[in-house]
Amino acid sequence: MASAATQSSCRVRDLYPSIDWGSEVIVLGIESTSHTFGVGIASSKPPYILAEAKHTYIPEKGGIHPREAAQHHVQVAPRILMEALSEAGLSIRDVDAVAVALGPGLGPCLRVGATVARALAAYYHKPLVPVNHALAHIEIGRLYTCLDDPVVLYVSGGNTLVAAYAKGRYRVFGETLDIALGNLLDAFARDAPLPGDLAPPPYVKRGMHVVDLCAERGSEPVDLPLGVVKGQDVTFSGLYTAAVRAARRLRDRVGDVCLAFREIAYSAVVEVTERCLVHTRKKQVLLVGGVAASPVLREKLASMTEYHGASWGAPPPRLAGDNGAMIAWLGLLNYMAGLTCSIEDAVVKQRWRLDDTPAPWRA
Amino acid sequence: MTPLYEGAEAYLYPVTWAGRRALAKWRPPKTYRHPAIDEGVRRSRTIAEVRGTLHALEAGVNAPAIYYVDVDDCIIYMERLDGILFREYIDAHGVTAETLRLARDAGRQAALMHARGLLHGDLTTSNMMVAGAELYIIDYGLSGHARTEREKAIDIHLFKRSLESTHPEYMEEVYKAFLRGYAEVAGEETAARMDKLVEEIRMMGRYVEERRARRP
Repeated sequence: MASAATQSSCRVRDLYPSIDWGSEVIVLGIESTSHTFGVGIASSKPPYILAEAKHTYIPEKGGIHPREAAQHHVQVAPRILMEALSEAGLSIRDVDAVAVALGPGLGPCLRVGATVARALAAYYHKPLVPVNHALAHIEIGRLYTCLDDPVVLYVSGGNTLVAAYAKGRYRVFGETLDIALGNLLDAFARDAPLPGDLAPPPYVKRGMHVVDLCAERGSEPVDLPLGVVKGQDVTFSGLYTAAVRAARRLRDRVGDVCLAFREIAYSAVVEVTERCLVHTRKKQVLLVGGVAASPVLREKLASMTEYHGASWGAPPPRLAGDNGAMIAWLGLLNYMAGLTCSIEDAVVKQRWRLDDTPAPWRA
Repeated sequence: MTPLYEGAEAYLYPVTWAGRRALAKWRPPKTYRHPAIDEGVRRSRTIAEVRGTLHALEAGVNAPAIYYVDVDDCIIYMERLDGILFREYIDAHGVTAETLRLARDAGRQAALMHARGLLHGDLTTSNMMVAGAELYIIDYGLSGHARTEREKAIDIHLFKRSLESTHPEYMEEVYKAFLRGYAEVAGEETAARMDKLVEEIRMMGRYVEERRARRP
């Protein structure tokens, strides 16, 4: 697979100085926190990511139904697992450890990945490595961008946060107080409603979110609430309500509503990132998560970082969204740092916070 | 002119205004925002800051005096305070009797503000200044009007969280002193109710472990 073959040009020993990179270690990682079931395989030797296979549950209508998503994962799990192993040209016996994302995420979905991981670990006598999904996004992002100490903007369907590393772990600087950015965009696209040709599904067409495509038809943004940034946090629910109402009231100006809506929403997360950048005096920004693919968000982030003389980067879209390779990569780091757990302790943690997760290999 | 301080949102310049030492606070345009939205954001925050500062002064809060405001260019000319941020003060001194006195005074001033229905909106230790022996509450750009007690509690929650993120080891003591000051103005009962609301607001946060246990 092309994306999995892309190599980072930096040296892992610069990114992870405290890990002994001498011996070859191979870790298989399982992702099932939300709509994607993915399996990845990582190695401590270049090209680091040996395989990346996944399948994503797409609801026929509405948002993700956790139970239906979990059923999807159960159905595709064996096939995705085999796909990853054959892509890497390995047997499960060649793997040194099995990693799994235990949270944060949707309970029913998490339990599928955890069950598969526990079964593999027990049957093949492999160490089990617990992985935090948010931290996995960050570390695969660092591997592919070579940013050694970035401010992180993580935006997806279920998460919106800005974090930076300090003293042993990533600290959450700001986050959403209600819904995530991706959730906001999708819910607005469903409920506005958007013009017939743009109405989801799908939510993304030709690499653009339908809300962005709708915004291209606008020229004069309508008045919507600007108070999305609350100190270091963001709150989107008021913007959502006002935008849906405006779209229903101003039928002939839906493009202008979309324009105002997405401008306010994207600018808010960029502003919080800017606050964190200035506050921490760091010089890099890493963009990860499913919404990282948005060209409009990327442009805004580029503009902001250029103003502050900072650089920014994002992993390729396939690895920016949910995937198994990132779980394998963080699993490898955790395994090499000695962070494993017993099968009994491998229980899902829906509310596992990023700032409750140690990152000892950063020091 | 080189700024005295470059924040994420505004630049501060040392200037003279009608013969007084003053501070010019400028909110520059942001290229990442759509021009129409950028203007709306900068204008509304400039106006909110002036309005909030004036209301705070009326309530008896230590806040910088406003000399002049240029709404079109988003520049506020105000009193220049010579001091250090309360965050830096805690960094430098830790928890001393004086730190606790200042924290109590911060609580007292917050209660004065809230009694008038004014919300600060970003009540962190980085928005408090220690000048001489006085504590000032600054930066009213996100201020607004409180309709409910819960909204006032959000201010206090933010104060507590700012301690948690910068001075976790001092949080309990400093927060207690703040609440004592709050009670001096608002009364013991109100302060206790606020403390309860602060805990409720924390529970509303994302991924809070204890929340699970509280569910039936």
